[in-house]
Amino acid sequence: MSQLKYAFYTGCSAKGVAPELYDSTRLVAEKLGMELIELEAATCCGAGAVQEKDEFLAYTINARNLALAEELGLDLLTICNTCTVMLRDTKFKLDNDPELKAAVNEVLREAGLEYKGTSEVTHFLWEVIDGVGLDKLKSMVVRPLKDFNIAPFYGCHIIRPVYLIGYEDPDNPKSMEMVIEALGGNPKDHEARLACCGFHSFWSAEDEVTLRLTAMDTKAAKEEKADFMVTPCPLCHTQLDAMQEEAEERIGTQIGMPILHLPQMIGLALGMNPKDLGLHKHIVPTDNIIKKITSSK
Amino acid sequence: METFKLRVFRYDPTKDSEPYYKEYTLPVEKGMTVLAALFKVKEEQDPTLSFRYNCRAAICGSCSMRINGHGTLACKEQVTKILEKYNTDTITVEPIGNVKPLKDLIFDFDYLLNKMKKVKPWFIPKEPPPPDGKEYRQSPEDHHKIDFASDCILCASCVSECNAFKANEEYLTPFVFSKAYRYAADSRDGAKRERLEAVLDKLNLEWCVRCWQCTTNCPKEVQPYENIIRLRIMAAEEGFKTPGERHAEIFEEDIRERGLLNEMLLPIRQEGLLGAIKRAPFGIKMLLKGKANIADFFGGHKVKRHEEVVKIYEKAKEKEKEVRIRIPQILGVVYEDKRKTIRRANFLDKGGNE
Repeated sequence: MSQLKYAFYTGCSAKGVAPELYDSTRLVAEKLGMELIELEAATCCGAGAVQEKDEFLAYTINARNLALAEELGLDLLTICNTCTVMLRDTKFKLDNDPELKAAVNEVLREAGLEYKGTSEVTHFLWEVIDGVGLDKLKSMVVRPLKDFNIAPFYGCHIIRPVYLIGYEDPDNPKSMEMVIEALGGNPKDHEARLACCGFHSFWSAEDEVTLRLTAMDTKAAKEEKADFMVTPCPLCHTQLDAMQEEAEERIGTQIGMPILHLPQMIGLALGMNPKDLGLHKHIVPTDNIIKKITSSK
Repeated sequence: METFKLRVFRYDPTKDSEPYYKEYTLPVEKGMTVLAALFKVKEEQDPTLSFRYNCRAAICGSCSMRINGHGTLACKEQVTKILEKYNTDTITVEPIGNVKPLKDLIFDFDYLLNKMKKVKPWFIPKEPPPPDGKEYRQSPEDHHKIDFASDCILCASCVSECNAFKANEEYLTPFVFSKAYRYAADSRDGAKRERLEAVLDKLNLEWCVRCWQCTTNCPKEVQPYENIIRLRIMAAEEGFKTPGERHAEIFEEDIRERGLLNEMLLPIRQEGLLGAIKRAPFGIKMLLKGKANIADFFGGHKVKRHEEVVKIYEKAKEKEKEVRIRIPQILGVVYEDKRKTIRRANFLDKGGNE
């Protein structure tokens, strides 16, 4: 049990607009026997924005983030898809390019740090499957999600690109469905299962692209009569939950699709209090889910 | 499994008011490609079926289509592998997504070609030809920068599930950006700014949502997504001021000043006072739900060991001009089910030490 110990990289969102993700991750991890040592000195991963302006700076700050996990001798665990891909991108480039690694380490030396490449970057979803194990998860379920039709929304950066992620087939991933089934829920296939929420072009193409995708995604889940969508990424969550109203306005249709964070869904099945899991902090009301889960037994 | 079903998108605009799907049962043969299966249908069951093809060796790009929801080349995909991958007895074949179907599996490529013309996908020399009468030359290192991008065979697999294009047909599409990059990054080309202006028209280059779908679909490892990012880096270096560039500046400031991004102060910094007013109701909504912290509106807290971050930031900024960042080859990458045994990419620097 004690080997489920990770250097916990929160990312900006869980410390910012998605505090309910931080809280539910903490609660669920503890219940599942995962020990999370928070990297309180870690910085933002650059989210692709810094990478597009100053590539070298992006590799350097992420090398520092990775070095913080190496100091603890632990693998780094993320709860955000974009953090996952950005940290893995830095690791990929540094581990395969000795010249770049030397240049980055020359900078890190200024602060007495070194990037060695000894810690892996992993995501909460993968550790629930490979670390905790689905059999164990199943055995801990006290409130099976049998009355729920659940639409998984993977979010791009936990499946693509293969050369940075490589955990499962990006054309037909199964990890989210596996977790939903272990919790007794009914995974619903839908058009937007592997689609993009639009988050990353918000400031450049809010009307042209972003909100149109948000509307398409949430509508796709509604068409399959899903009770809620679930995502392993806080950026997808903010986009699909907090911006859903704006997306509805643009298309002139009411959608009202609740969006849950992955650990919130697990927590509900493990019998935790919806309020502790932060379900009341969502913009799209989750009342129906709470009603259904607390009346089922 | 001895047989499988080939479910094919059928549409003849001279006869059909709506497209429909027709199923054909075929024997499962080892080594049979989806293209070979289509030939078998055409020869033995239904001569009216229309599809494009030519080389049958993933070189010409003609037989691109959507197979079980993903754009790819029919000559490159084996029937047995597709059945296994989707754990199914049915292979669904449709024309490339997001583009108008013309007849059966044939789609309107001219529509995409007209987009491509906007970036002038041809060489515009910077200088007159070398006086020795030989060709324009470039170093292996310079060639490496455009090597992958010049492998594009215009199959449009990248277009099929492109999220930005799905949302808006005015999007230039990944392969068009790849073409623009291939010429803009060519050491012999003289129209870099013109090409950047073309891709930044209506901010099109920044419509990309970073979903990496195009790179995932591309059968030739052209890396369309990475080429979009390389174009953005190039535009920033050339001094183009865009929302994306401003966004990156805010991230950099926050990393330097506090470590994490301050999401609540992002709107006013991104869009100025007017933007902040426009976004205020949203901010209040977030605040009321407990999704935002009042302290964040006054700057928020700093990460621990913040002094390290400042030192590293300053030194990295100073050093970045002298660092050469190589473009990785990503060929031969496969996924495996077990996380710890992932076969990592084959990273080759073609331009470096040859």
